[in-house]
Amino acid sequence: MLFAGLFVVLLTEWPRPAVAVAQGGERALERELQNQARTTLLQRLYGPVEDLRQQGKMANALLKLDELERTYPGEAHGLMLKGEILAGMGALEPAAASFAAGVRRNGDYIDAKFPLSRRAAVSRLVADGLPVIIEGTRRNPESRDLGLALKNLRYLQSRLAGGCE
Amino acid sequence: MRIAMNWRDRHLWIVIGCGLATGILGVLLAYWGNPENSGICVSCFVENSAGALGLHGNERMQYLRPELVGFLLGSLVSAALFREFRSRGGSAPLPRLFAGILLIVGSAVFIGCPIKLVLRLSAGDLSALAGAVGLVAGVWIGLKGLAVGVSLGRTSAERGGSGLLLPLFFLLLLGFVLAPPVFLLVSERGSATRHAPWLLALGAGLGLGALAQRSRFCITGGVRDGFLLGRRAPLLWGLIAFIFAAVGLSLALGRFHLGLHGQPGAHVEALWSFLGMALVGWLSALIGGCPFRQLIKAGEGDADAGIVVVGMFLGGGLVQTWGIAATAAGVPLAGKVAVLAGLLLVTAATLTFRDRRA
Repeated sequence: MLFAGLFVVLLTEWPRPAVAVAQGGERALERELQNQARTTLLQRLYGPVEDLRQQGKMANALLKLDELERTYPGEAHGLMLKGEILAGMGALEPAAASFAAGVRRNGDYIDAKFPLSRRAAVSRLVADGLPVIIEGTRRNPESRDLGLALKNLRYLQSRLAGGCE
Repeated sequence: MRIAMNWRDRHLWIVIGCGLATGILGVLLAYWGNPENSGICVSCFVENSAGALGLHGNERMQYLRPELVGFLLGSLVSAALFREFRSRGGSAPLPRLFAGILLIVGSAVFIGCPIKLVLRLSAGDLSALAGAVGLVAGVWIGLKGLAVGVSLGRTSAERGGSGLLLPLFFLLLLGFVLAPPVFLLVSERGSATRHAPWLLALGAGLGLGALAQRSRFCITGGVRDGFLLGRRAPLLWGLIAFIFAAVGLSLALGRFHLGLHGQPGAHVEALWSFLGMALVGWLSALIGGCPFRQLIKAGEGDADAGIVVVGMFLGGGLVQTWGIAATAAGVPLAGKVAVLAGLLLVTAATLTFRDRRA
């Protein structure tokens, strides 16, 4: 009898499906809002850097990034943009370092579905840069810079390959 | 006197069948959507599921894996059908709880459980070699311990049905898979978003769980029996069948990429891969099975294995929250400290659980 009574109480207390769905929907909406707000903020903050990059003013874009770095140190988006700019300038090693630091900080930049994804740029750098750096380390095995660049590129290669982490 | 292998033994063929099924499903589940080389990975599944239940806050690792639920419930159904469900336990519960945590610590530092180790190797990932050597070494050390009388104590039949508790909890998790409650966390980014269709995943888990219950299939058990019985060990043949099937299917599906670098979900810190898997192998030898086998035994009513599984869930939360889990970038300091602490704890347990009359 006691258990039957408790069961009835439970049934009356149980959130109705519509309420539960609404709660779930609210949580999903909050998450979506958070993501969109972050994306919009990053696009607004780093928009001038993008503009400078598209105008071909790479040095100015890097200076603007340095300025933003002082306010938002270690922000993954800044690191990824820096990697893109450096890669565009042909500076393989620092580009690899910047991309690797950005992906370590926020792995979303490797995901194809992420709105700010830089997967294509990272894939290009790995595909073009890895043979060059491997050849460089073969010729100059004692170079610490080349060794570090190789490590960064292989890290990015592994992240691009996927896996569970 | 050499005893020849009995190829007419029905149990041997069940074990080989289970090995083949594990290899095939391990590759297919990744093909159907699970992360690369992680078609089956008990430690990854536990970390994902712990995240879904709110035990850690890594938003990229939250998904209740239907395979995990299927393994245990498949074993439960099989044990019930063949009248092998027996509620038992009572052997060193707290050390087993810690063993469960440490199993996940070792696996997280290597990036994968013993099943994933085989899947990684079968897909050409040479960075897993150090882990394989570590696992074999760990099982060997554990066996040496067992030989000199190290034992956590005898598991005995229990009244009160404590062996039912974990299957009941997993039935609840099955309910969560079928009708996700609002509090269940689901990643919208990262590796946890990569999964096979849930019905396929659940079906694969149930089937494999049932087969593993019938066959007693276990990776570390295969290594252990290989040491003890040589080529006459059915579990060793099951392991060989697993490798054979996984390599064959990986090659057939174009998922075999031989190399040390650039492998999915892998790092090249060989020492820590070795130590992480040595910890898993050593513990598995002491507690009677790898993480997968613990799930299967828990489904059969073994409350001792059940407490290991509870420890594994706790471990799944801790390795993410405390930054123990390794990534492609390498093994974090916390991971190295945790593995060394684990090895120290197992050494201490080996000394204190030694029955000197043996």
